[in-house]
Amino acid sequence: MPFDLETAAHPERLRRVAIDPVSRVEGHGKVTLLLDEAGRVQQARLHIVEFRGFEQFIVGRPYWEVPVMVQRLCGICPVSHHLAASKALDAVVGVTGRGGAHPLPASATAMRRLMHYGQVMQSHALHFFHLASPDLLFGFDSEPQRRHIVGVAEAHPEIARQGVLLRQYGQEVIRATAGKRIHGTGSVPGGVNRLLSDDDHALLKGQAAERIAWAEGAVALAARLHESEPALYRHFGEVPAMMLSLVRPGDGAMELYDGVLRVRHADGSLLLDGHSDQRYLDLIEEEVRPWSYMKFPYLRALGPERGWYRVGPLARVQNCSHIPTPRAEAARQAFVAAAGGAVAHGALSTHWARMIELLYAMEVIAELLDEPALRAGELTASAPRQGGPGGDSEGEREGIASIEAPCGTLIHHYRVGRDELVTHCNLIVSTTHNNQAMNEAVRAVARHYFDGRALTEGLLNRIEVAIRAYDPCLSCATHALGRMPLDVQLSAADGRPLDRLLRDGDGRCTR
Amino acid sequence: MTPAAPLFLLDGHPVPFKPGETLIEAATRAGRHIPHLCWHPGFAPHGSCRLCMVAIGERQLAACSTAAEAGLEVRLHGEALAAQRRTLLQLLFVEGNHFCPSCERSGACKLQAEACEAGVEGPHFEQLYPDRPVDASHPDVLLDLNRCILCGLCVRASAQHDGKAVFALGGRGLGTQLVVGSASGRLGDTDLAASDLAARICPVGAILPKRRGFAVPIGQRRYDAAPISALPETDDGMPPP
Amino acid sequence: MNAAPPPAPRKLRLATVSLAGCFGCHMSFLDIDERLFALIERVEFDRSPLTDLKAVGRCDIGLVEGGLCNAENVQVLREFRAHCKTLVAVGACAINGGLPAQRNHLRIDELLRAVYQQRDGLAAGAQVPDDPELPLPLNRVHPIHEVVHIDYSLPGCPPSADAFWQFLTDLMAGRTPQLGHGLMHYD
Repeated sequence: MPFDLETAAHPERLRRVAIDPVSRVEGHGKVTLLLDEAGRVQQARLHIVEFRGFEQFIVGRPYWEVPVMVQRLCGICPVSHHLAASKALDAVVGVTGRGGAHPLPASATAMRRLMHYGQVMQSHALHFFHLASPDLLFGFDSEPQRRHIVGVAEAHPEIARQGVLLRQYGQEVIRATAGKRIHGTGSVPGGVNRLLSDDDHALLKGQAAERIAWAEGAVALAARLHESEPALYRHFGEVPAMMLSLVRPGDGAMELYDGVLRVRHADGSLLLDGHSDQRYLDLIEEEVRPWSYMKFPYLRALGPERGWYRVGPLARVQNCSHIPTPRAEAARQAFVAAAGGAVAHGALSTHWARMIELLYAMEVIAELLDEPALRAGELTASAPRQGGPGGDSEGEREGIASIEAPCGTLIHHYRVGRDELVTHCNLIVSTTHNNQAMNEAVRAVARHYFDGRALTEGLLNRIEVAIRAYDPCLSCATHALGRMPLDVQLSAADGRPLDRLLRDGDGRCTR
Repeated sequence: MTPAAPLFLLDGHPVPFKPGETLIEAATRAGRHIPHLCWHPGFAPHGSCRLCMVAIGERQLAACSTAAEAGLEVRLHGEALAAQRRTLLQLLFVEGNHFCPSCERSGACKLQAEACEAGVEGPHFEQLYPDRPVDASHPDVLLDLNRCILCGLCVRASAQHDGKAVFALGGRGLGTQLVVGSASGRLGDTDLAASDLAARICPVGAILPKRRGFAVPIGQRRYDAAPISALPETDDGMPPP
Repeated sequence: MNAAPPPAPRKLRLATVSLAGCFGCHMSFLDIDERLFALIERVEFDRSPLTDLKAVGRCDIGLVEGGLCNAENVQVLREFRAHCKTLVAVGACAINGGLPAQRNHLRIDELLRAVYQQRDGLAAGAQVPDDPELPLPLNRVHPIHEVVHIDYSLPGCPPSADAFWQFLTDLMAGRTPQLGHGLMHYD
């Protein structure tokens, strides 16, 4: 039994508790718990129940469709997929990101970076303000009728307004670079299809200073919440895990668009650095377990039991050597100091790290807006790509790329035949990297809070709080959004119903 | 003094015509859009898409293959004709695999533009999801039969303009399909050139130049700024390489 | 002298759900930005990812994103139809299956084997997930109108925020929603 509480020895003797769906809005995920007679949790699993098969129906499509197609994996972080695919296909058309005979034009790099940082910003704002802040501002056991963005708007109108407008700014950056806010077309293999217009430049530039100030306020809010209940914030859903992320080559600074892979042990010591994403298959292997459509990746060298890791804001903020923008770096140092030299592994610390990244993204956007290449220059590289008859593997070209999506490292891998059709696609999406960590967080919460107690709405909410901290994109798998309705049923081993707790979408619980 | 051109009435508006012109030719010259997919000003009418159906008295006729006559009172608009047009468009959508979100012709696709103009919000009918091949054997041109609407424009362009016989329509009824005129049936084994009109005239995303997808940003595509009815008829098709 | 002001009109109840969608339609709905605060003056969300203010009850409007990929999607859709007076198919996936329907020319069993058994970097012995906790995938992805009656479709991938706004304000005013050029698009 590799993981404590993953698989019970005799499931047939246990009571099943299903939290289904974890997110009713898509119904892609659910949690099941198996309890023994004393009400102790013997098995806890987060299942991803949705299968869409993107990796397979992309095969046979022309490569230039792919960046537009794959972003439909997720409407919350579509830009991550749009750009990861574009970067991978740059290689297929013979264009290199840095240097080389056919480098990506400076304008294309600047536009893509701007688009990406706009996206990180809007996704982080959405996650913190629209989704997580009600739990944090009102408490896990607060009236469920108030725990939502409308409740925040009533109790803290300025926080809600700034949250909505921070997200709006990120979405406007995407519109200005991709043509529309969701599922645009700005990036193409080998370049981009537009530059930043003067109007959009003026709009974004004019609002940047105020948005930076608001982002700093968001960091302060997250820090304040932490200080209000340090033990809870430190230890809730605490799961020591290795940390994987991209960092800037050379100095290991935080970098979200392009970098090299770095892994730290849970104790903070470096395990691996400067690993090229081109060799991700040397680094990562994936396991399939029968109870989830989401695979379980781990470091090949360490095996499935010891090799799993965490990605996303909490990993990135502690994995990088520093953040290359001044305000966010100061915020990072405060975060590190608050942990007193230890590595933070509590689920709720992710929110603080996420707001530090929001500030970083906003600072990068403000810097990029001064970049002249955004408004003048070549759109695409003069790629040497030549077509051919196809059908032979000899002329096949391969492209691999990674990017730091809002919720973690994202890897795209394609092979394209000489006839321009995709012959192979492999994706490891951010939330998949976090699969084991999220399952462990569910178990930590279940172990700590559930054992032997009667079911309450507050207990159920704690499971959601732990999952939600990972910003699980369970639609790339499925992005969990907002209040999750829960239907928990307890059955005796013979199937006799023992207890049932229904929490409606409005948060009311009925038995 | 030249005599005034003869006129017919299109929804009450006088439209002048030259002898021998069809209704759609004269209307197009007068800047009045009659919905169509299989008609193209450079070629003989095909009369297959039926989108240009108009009413003259009690009769319904295809504007692309009806000669203009002085004094005709032609109705294009009206609820019954509009509903019929929507149905025809919906049938075209469910017969093929038209995934507009990832199609590079989005925003410049005539099928899409006519459907938006006609107010088609959904397919209404059951999707057939046919299993159709993509032919990428040609070095410069992609043929994606998932999006073919059998308008026959590539067939006419190849035969009448390019002097080749790259495309033909084969089969009957629901089994009708675009076939490629080579022994192997593959586009790569024909003498099609990317500069041929047949390679550029497709009104949808079935015949496309390779490696150029999504080069035109959202906002600058043909039908982004104005609906198809407000735009002049063009020689259409993709620009030559 | 003056009559009492008329009572405020009852707020409309709005429910939303994402079936086999990517959440992009919900995100685009949120793109109404500050208009959200105006909207909640006239609408209360019921079974919505945005808020959970009121008890679940019958709804005036249900917005459905996503097509039908598995048996659970079908069940949720039927529940929505039963609870919503006006049911709206929102976005390409709900309307015609969307991109997930591109798997429809493939066999689902071969598809699953390709992804879970034949991909690069899989541990030895990987099998297709088959736990009873996983809802059964459908052979084909279906648009929602093939399973329940829908009252309106709001096309786009996703429909723009302005399209959502136009659609909802028309509906709230008792008008048949009309999307003009620019708001009506399929991509």
